[in-house]
Amino acid sequence: MPIPNQPPSELERLAAILQEAHDVHGVSLWADAWKRLKRNKAAMISLWSLLTIVLLAILTPLLPLQSPIYQDVKNRELLPPQWEGFSLGIKQYDEETARLIAEADLQVAGNAKHKELMTEVEAREQKHPINLYWNDPNFLTKPLISLRLLLFGDFCIPSIFGTDKLGRDVLSRVFWGSRISLACGFIATLVSLMIGVSYGAISGYMGGWVDNLMMRLVDVFYSIPFIFIVIFIMSFLSSPDVREVLQEYHIGQIHVFFLLIGAIYWLTMARVVRGQVISLKNEQFVEAAKTIGATRMQIVFRHLVPNVMGIVIVYLTLTIPAVIRFEAFLSFLGMGVEAPNISWGLLVNEGVQVITIIKTYWWMIAFSGMALATTLFALNFLGDGVRDALDPKLKNK
Amino acid sequence: MSHSTEPILQIQNLQVEFHTDSGVVRAVNGVSFDLYPGETLGIVGESGSGKSVTNLSLMGLIPQPPGKIAGGKVLYNGQNLLELNQRQWQQVRGKKIAMIFQDPMTALNPFLTVEEQLIEVTMLHMQLNRAQATEHAIEILRKVGIPGAEKRIRDYPHQFSGGMRQRVMIAMAISCQPDILIADEPTTALDVTIQAQILELMKSMQEEFGTAIIFITHDLGVVASICDRVMVMYAGRKVEQSTTREIFRQPRHPYTVGLLNSAPRWDQGEDDLQAIDGQPPDLLNLPLGCSFNPRCQFVQDSCLQDTPPLVALEGETPHQHACLQDITQTEEDHSS
Amino acid sequence: MQVLTFLLKRFGWMIITVWIVFTVSFFLMRQIPGGPLNGERVLSEAVRARLEARYNLDAPISEQYFTHLWNTVRLDFGPSFKLQDYTVNEILAQGFPVSAALGILGMVFAITIGMTSGVVSAVRRNSAYDYSFMMMATLGIAIPNFVLAAMLIVIFVFNLQMFPAAGWGDLNQIILPAFCLGAPFAGYIARLTRTGMLEVLGNDYIRTAYAKGLSPRTVVMKHGLRGALLPVVSYLGPAIAGILTGSLVLERIFVIPGMGSHFIEAAIQRDYTLAMGALLTYTVLLFGMNTLVDLAYSIIDPRVKLE
Repeated sequence: MPIPNQPPSELERLAAILQEAHDVHGVSLWADAWKRLKRNKAAMISLWSLLTIVLLAILTPLLPLQSPIYQDVKNRELLPPQWEGFSLGIKQYDEETARLIAEADLQVAGNAKHKELMTEVEAREQKHPINLYWNDPNFLTKPLISLRLLLFGDFCIPSIFGTDKLGRDVLSRVFWGSRISLACGFIATLVSLMIGVSYGAISGYMGGWVDNLMMRLVDVFYSIPFIFIVIFIMSFLSSPDVREVLQEYHIGQIHVFFLLIGAIYWLTMARVVRGQVISLKNEQFVEAAKTIGATRMQIVFRHLVPNVMGIVIVYLTLTIPAVIRFEAFLSFLGMGVEAPNISWGLLVNEGVQVITIIKTYWWMIAFSGMALATTLFALNFLGDGVRDALDPKLKNK
Repeated sequence: MSHSTEPILQIQNLQVEFHTDSGVVRAVNGVSFDLYPGETLGIVGESGSGKSVTNLSLMGLIPQPPGKIAGGKVLYNGQNLLELNQRQWQQVRGKKIAMIFQDPMTALNPFLTVEEQLIEVTMLHMQLNRAQATEHAIEILRKVGIPGAEKRIRDYPHQFSGGMRQRVMIAMAISCQPDILIADEPTTALDVTIQAQILELMKSMQEEFGTAIIFITHDLGVVASICDRVMVMYAGRKVEQSTTREIFRQPRHPYTVGLLNSAPRWDQGEDDLQAIDGQPPDLLNLPLGCSFNPRCQFVQDSCLQDTPPLVALEGETPHQHACLQDITQTEEDHSS
Repeated sequence: MQVLTFLLKRFGWMIITVWIVFTVSFFLMRQIPGGPLNGERVLSEAVRARLEARYNLDAPISEQYFTHLWNTVRLDFGPSFKLQDYTVNEILAQGFPVSAALGILGMVFAITIGMTSGVVSAVRRNSAYDYSFMMMATLGIAIPNFVLAAMLIVIFVFNLQMFPAAGWGDLNQIILPAFCLGAPFAGYIARLTRTGMLEVLGNDYIRTAYAKGLSPRTVVMKHGLRGALLPVVSYLGPAIAGILTGSLVLERIFVIPGMGSHFIEAAIQRDYTLAMGALLTYTVLLFGMNTLVDLAYSIIDPRVKLE
């Protein structure tokens, strides 16, 4: 007759349960999501392509590209893609200047010839190609350009993407355009994120008439065709008087443009965050925070907002491409980024402008269009991957 | 209960697998049983024991892939249902074998009226026209106890309470008078008082139409009140089967004992309630030997190596169990 | 009754929305230094006074505001600033049908192609159809319509010479722009339908439908499609706004004399009465469409109560 094991004592039983709980390892939402994302090939390829594109955009001033704005209508108008080399000619210019300085040094200081030479040298410094080749380089791009000149000298990648109507190099314009298109995607998304999350979180947490009013307002905004308002405001901003006022405050039209786009893309984000906050605000951890005397703002931004980050990221993956596309739209219409600034939308527009029955100049559209489409394509794929990875409900689909 | 008649449904060595990212899950592993006309067979087990998968395969409703019927036969009036094609299955489902699901909240289509959902079955299987089907639907709704049936038939599911929805589900399942009704935990999602009503309703419908019922549940109280025979499943295997009375009187598998001890009974105090220790089995990593051995209080060395075969005991009532130990002796010792 | 109260409430909100848009743009317009009459030409005092009187610019700003508001309420947007022989109403009446035809055609294209491929993809999940449809859908979403338009013009107009490059009036002239307009939305709708359908097909009531012995076709089309339609329907609101935006660009590329072209011209030329008229028309249009979408949603899903 088999003898059953002694029924375990209560203590042993609890110890066993404790051990069991100990053996189960919790995996954080993010680690789990990352693991799932890594398995998604399309998303990973997109991620690496995007990182490459962003890196190239950041390092554009360092790359041996031609000038994006230097015009040479006479010799280089609408050249097809080619391998013929092109030199910046800075070295020659500098040598010439150095020669003049040397010549001036031979003269007695103060005499007429010396003065004449020195003014010429000064004039040459004034219209040094660096100032012509790059549009008003700022403190970030200037050192990179200097480094580029140091590394590569006069060498430039030939116009393998062809040249445009004014003889400018399309390759370098596509690269420089990426900086503004991507910056727009980044800044405008950040703006929309800040507005949307705060608005939604506050609305959801306050509840009652505040929530009601705030959401009614969002409803109203949903029915406003914002692109028309933006076009309106952009045309307002481009009037010379307004531009002067802005310049006094050192605000470029393009900065206002970025903020404007961000300021109209927060509606869905606000709605989603509100919904999440409403479902979270009755959870125990909020009660717990209240009992230790957290203020309302602390509860909203320290306790609730971090808990909605998952869904916020899901919506970010939708906002970024939408914002980049919107910028391209407006720039294409001539209502966004303005020369001498460059963006992909603007480049496509320039391409469309030169389409004629006689000749199509396909390179004017193909490369900028492809850069834009590839970026948006990769963003979409990555977005899909992130959404699947973060939304376990759909993970087996 | 003795059976002079032939079984209406015979399940022989049924094996169902699911192919997942982490490996192959054997959800049902060699299960056999018979169902006789007019009886109620209870299938009891925890979630993951394979009871629902077994019954979904009787309806050909295992999603494939990831699911796969790896072997066995399902004989309905001598015909193996597992060999049917899509079109032939459609002739069986709803007409010969019908099913009631656990959650009436989600099992009814929220976008269609109850009328639409009821008449489509009879129009399909009984070749009724729309007017006849509607009439038939109202009649059957009245039968399952929906007051004001001719008005309520135009309502959407969300306009009914949980118990009423389950009545609608039952009406839908019996509207073609099927031979077999599979009820997958039909009372779990309902209030206790409603539960009793639904069980009453099922009994009376069974008496009226002579339907055989397979009743899946984890609630032994429900089993005691409705089932003629009981089959206990654990980790995809049948571990015990007998008449309801016999199972309650003399359980022969430690898991059944555990189930009985963990269910509250009117004749025992609360102190006697015992939970079954440990976790439900991980079907991807079943222990060697008897699947129940990590949680078994009667475990012996042999249990860790040999998979216990299903043993049929001869006697007044047929009793099958799959345990290497004879626990009846010790159980008596233990309880005395 | 319920629908009527809903529509009345919505109408009230529309009035508020239009009023906000009107007020904001009115004061934005008046903020422009110099005013719209400061063109390239220098106007004589007399001409200037006459023009100011014509556009009611000589009155105090509050009076201008209320006069303009009252005129707008009477649906009279006044004379165009730049196209001086026309009233804004005339220009809009001319442009609106063109834009509407383009938009409707684009939308119909997007919905038919999108829903069909979405359903096929969901039902034949992980098949070659599924992969290629979803690849195309993602491409459609990713490529901005003006890039697509430019490429198609290069290919179909100049190289294959299948379509005329630009203009309006001929069926041939509407196909390319409508395709470009609808393509991104077809992509979105296809993906929404697919996801929605997959989610619906995982529901218990689909299993119930199969358990009744219904054919897969009936299950998908009768029990599945309604639920799968919901995300598509709620997307239609933003889609209509997107169609308006898209038609702005496409009208420009294909030189189509619709509202979009007029609006851009008006904004560039500072033709404020025209811009205002177009803006308000678009607002009403968008609001009306959103209301229709909500109405459709409540018809499809009986659980939704109109608010």
